[in-house]
Amino acid sequence: MTDELLVVRAQLGERDALAELVSRWRTPVWTYVRRMLDAERADGVSQEVWLAVVRGLPRLREPDRFAPWLFTIARRSVMDRLRGRYAEPPAPAGDETAADPAGAALDRAELIAALALLPPPEREILVLHYLEDLPVEDCAQICGIPAGTVKSRLSRARRLMRARLEEKGYRP
Amino acid sequence: MTNEEPRLPARELLERLEPALSPARRIRAMAALIAGVAGALFVVGLWATEPGPLPGRTHLAFGLLAAFCLGWACYGGWLLRRRVALFATDRVVAGWLALVASASTTTLLIVLAVQRGEGLGVALGAGAPVVVVALALTVRAHVQRAALLRRRRDLTGGT
Repeated sequence: MTDELLVVRAQLGERDALAELVSRWRTPVWTYVRRMLDAERADGVSQEVWLAVVRGLPRLREPDRFAPWLFTIARRSVMDRLRGRYAEPPAPAGDETAADPAGAALDRAELIAALALLPPPEREILVLHYLEDLPVEDCAQICGIPAGTVKSRLSRARRLMRARLEEKGYRP
Repeated sequence: MTNEEPRLPARELLERLEPALSPARRIRAMAALIAGVAGALFVVGLWATEPGPLPGRTHLAFGLLAAFCLGWACYGGWLLRRRVALFATDRVVAGWLALVASASTTTLLIVLAVQRGEGLGVALGAGAPVVVVALALTVRAHVQRAALLRRRRDLTGGT
């Protein structure tokens, strides 16, 4: 069953559809929150995200865009916790995605281990794009930035990640 | 680090979402909003159509009653906006309840105005906008529910 069908059924008031939706997206939401915050706060913030999702679900206009909407809500909760730390200079605009081969060389475990070392904007974009498998357009909607900025932020994040990994002795 | 999982099982998470989904809480929120608005409409209608000059205490009593009803309406509205989820079917039910309550209250005000021989315009002026809003909300709720049912049919191949 697709997410869109589950959302439509949940919007009609079907509890089992809502339960299935929560069950399906519980771990991805938690993973995003956990990568952005510490383990102590991850469960509480995830629960807060789900409360906001349940309350806002009847007003969701595009059921086929559930995932970006869900992560927009999750991002809002995370940003509330990170406020202050997130106000860093924006990355320069431009499309540099295709030029960096380091991304392909990083395996998932290394990526996750190095994530905590990155500043929140770069960490967030890597989590959304690589861990949550969201396309650049969805990442742009979630973060409220143009797709070009997402690509440049991804590129910068990979560069930072490579630098951090090399500092730790990792060689691709 | 990669094997980390949410500590909260899905079932427990759903239980914690229960306050936002509880039917009793939804009914309470709807009832508070509808009864509050209908009560305020009735009290204000009575107050405005009361024949002859009223003593200060009566004005105060009407004012307090109206404020009490509006307080309940605000509480219901806040619950619906911030605390509970009103899904498509709930909205249809809420729309009909609002329509019945507003139409009944307006009818009662009109009957009282006719019996007193004055205040018909005030009764209509106060009641009609509330009935129109309730009607619009009911129609919108039906339209939205029908659209969702259509979409569900499309997505399930017509089953």
